[in-house]
Amino acid sequence: MSSSCCAPPTFQEPASQAEGKLHTIVLIGPPNSGKSTLFNRLTGLRQKVANYPGVTVEQRMGLMAGVGRDDLTLIDLPGVYSLTPYSEDARVAVDVLKGKMVGTPKPDAVLLVLDSLHLTRQLMLAAPVLALGLPTLVLLNMTDLMEARGGEIDPLKLARELGAPVAQVSAVRGTGLEAVGLFLNQHSNGAATQQLTLPVVGNAASTHSWATQVSRRTGYRAPLSAENSRRLDNVLLHRVWGPLLFLLVVVAVFEVVFSIGQPLSDGFGEVLARAGALVRPLLPEGWLQSLVLDGAWKGISSVLVFLPQILLLFLFIGILEDSGYLARAALIADRVMRTTGLNGKAFIPLLSAYACAVPAIMATRTIENRRDRLATILVTPFMTCSARLPVYILLIAAFIPNITYLHGFLGLRTLVMLGLYVAGFVAAMTTAFLLKSSILRSSDTPFILELPQYRMPTVRALLMRLVDRARVFLRQAGTVILAVTLVLWVLAHLPVIHTQAGSWGIPDLANSLVGRLGHLIEPVIAPLGFNWKIGIGLISSVLAREVMVSTMGTLYGADPGTQALNLQTALHSDMTLGGALALMIFFAFAMQCTSTMAVVRRETNSWKWPAFQFAYMLVLAYGAAFVVNRLVTAIFG
Amino acid sequence: MNFARICNSDRNGRILKSDYSGRSLRVLPFRRARGVRKVRVLSELNVGESGILVALDLPESVQNHLMHMGFLPDALVTTVRRAPAGDPTVYAIDGMEIALRHETAEAIRVRDADPKIQEMEEFAEAAR
Repeated sequence: MSSSCCAPPTFQEPASQAEGKLHTIVLIGPPNSGKSTLFNRLTGLRQKVANYPGVTVEQRMGLMAGVGRDDLTLIDLPGVYSLTPYSEDARVAVDVLKGKMVGTPKPDAVLLVLDSLHLTRQLMLAAPVLALGLPTLVLLNMTDLMEARGGEIDPLKLARELGAPVAQVSAVRGTGLEAVGLFLNQHSNGAATQQLTLPVVGNAASTHSWATQVSRRTGYRAPLSAENSRRLDNVLLHRVWGPLLFLLVVVAVFEVVFSIGQPLSDGFGEVLARAGALVRPLLPEGWLQSLVLDGAWKGISSVLVFLPQILLLFLFIGILEDSGYLARAALIADRVMRTTGLNGKAFIPLLSAYACAVPAIMATRTIENRRDRLATILVTPFMTCSARLPVYILLIAAFIPNITYLHGFLGLRTLVMLGLYVAGFVAAMTTAFLLKSSILRSSDTPFILELPQYRMPTVRALLMRLVDRARVFLRQAGTVILAVTLVLWVLAHLPVIHTQAGSWGIPDLANSLVGRLGHLIEPVIAPLGFNWKIGIGLISSVLAREVMVSTMGTLYGADPGTQALNLQTALHSDMTLGGALALMIFFAFAMQCTSTMAVVRRETNSWKWPAFQFAYMLVLAYGAAFVVNRLVTAIFG
Repeated sequence: MNFARICNSDRNGRILKSDYSGRSLRVLPFRRARGVRKVRVLSELNVGESGILVALDLPESVQNHLMHMGFLPDALVTTVRRAPAGDPTVYAIDGMEIALRHETAEAIRVRDADPKIQEMEEFAEAAR
């Protein structure tokens, strides 16, 4: 009985007017109705993710291969409670449904997903959707839970009441989906529904009374409220255990991301380097080999190595979100986050940014309020990500003496590292506060957090999410990174100087265009205590921060004066302590990450915000580095 | 004063902030006389206490959003728990659990959940 499709009698009769063939179907439903899971079920992995023009709302499309109809396009609309345009999401949903969205075809049919556990409230969305008059199939989701908890629902009566076919499905289990195929086939044959009674669209109160009446007339009985969820919350939101368990979860996630993710990333980097080495003999020696392997492949590898860590982080965010704990984490963190003007939902994204800003920025999707979300995105790159670590480690090892205090418990090096983490955190919080009390102020939009019931995350849903996020990262970041890599390669290899065979392999950086650029910006960065070599490093590190280390290696390795020394000693002989500390602070604050900028552009749907972010962070980094250099030089000579 | 009037909405479904005589009801008389239902704000309910929603004193867009989440006049709201830090508070409404900050809950007016029981208790108290 878990899957039964029930149509009202009028639906079966072939209608007189034959509508055109179906092309575009939209999927709509309230938040937490299991809409995304259903979308994944219906489309499989053949999805396209983009942004709607002019807004930050994500557009998901896919061919309906999951029900054997890959001639049809399914559009996944954002989760909305009503069609009243209270948010950007709802405005987009209304525009798409009415065929007014530029670049999106007018839908021919609607799949309306409702959570059968809270049907009365969910029916409030059914009224305005059905009133549009499009052929609509109502899908009552979470049938499995409904049965387990003893709720009652009569799809036949409901179908008669709504004047639209109703099917019971379970997106998680994948049951009842044949009803979708049936519905689509009937409409493809030109059997259009004639809706005799469209619900009257009114205000929230009248819609609610309509929904209550419908659910009462159809004998709906809500299942027992999830006692398990409440009992679990008694522990997870306990005054003492709640925050403790929360901390435990956070520490565990980080432990795994760094202790498993780091070796995975290193191993992956090794594999990528080997793959490059394997291809090398296949390409003719010369500029092409150098462009492909030393340029494109090396550059892309330097970003790809973060993929294992990013995916691991997404896996954890996915588990937290799908299980329902993410909302509880937001509830616990809200009090702390409020002091900066952000809300609790910003906590997990900001935390993820300690590993990598890219998944963190993508995770801000859970923040509905656009201004809060923007503020979170803008401060995220200040958090000390793992790409900064190689640079910090190199500079600390080269310049900070290994002194320990408190009988070896506290090292000076550890303190400096900790200081850099704190500096990033303080910069993020201060910036958030400044943004929220100026250009992104949003006092009239309160924090409303729905606590969904706990559910066991399914492997399938998690995998789909991972594949989807990996694809977005690779496509969005990949294209920009490839372009930046190629530009850097050209800058490093021009003008062409043939001194010896194989000079394509190790570019003569000092005399190349990028070297000249380094010399050119030397007067600008000299007050920070940086020489032209650091200048070259800074230019090349716009690709990714850790590229700085390999560039420095190449530069000092090619210089006859420092050739024999290792990189730490070479740096030590070439920089002052003030300059080194200034460089660390510069890395803490500056936005030197093409992937992040590409993702910010994608999430905000304009170049305006990444440009603002880049400029703001650069000014802050320059100012802070200047002050640090002057102070340290004055104190330590 | 008949408090049922406050619950009446205008044609657009908004809850009026004044009674029929045009007086503002933003500040409500907190009388405890018998027969008068005590109107409080949601944030005043202790954990475990319930109330019937009367009105939302919030900007229209927020009000509309909350109404679609179940915060409608005459809906039963129960305070479920407070976050470990004491705020926000989780409310159960219409089978859902929704957390609101103090500042939002303060703008939501509720009356006592079961006036009959309340009256009976008061009667019993008076008889004693």
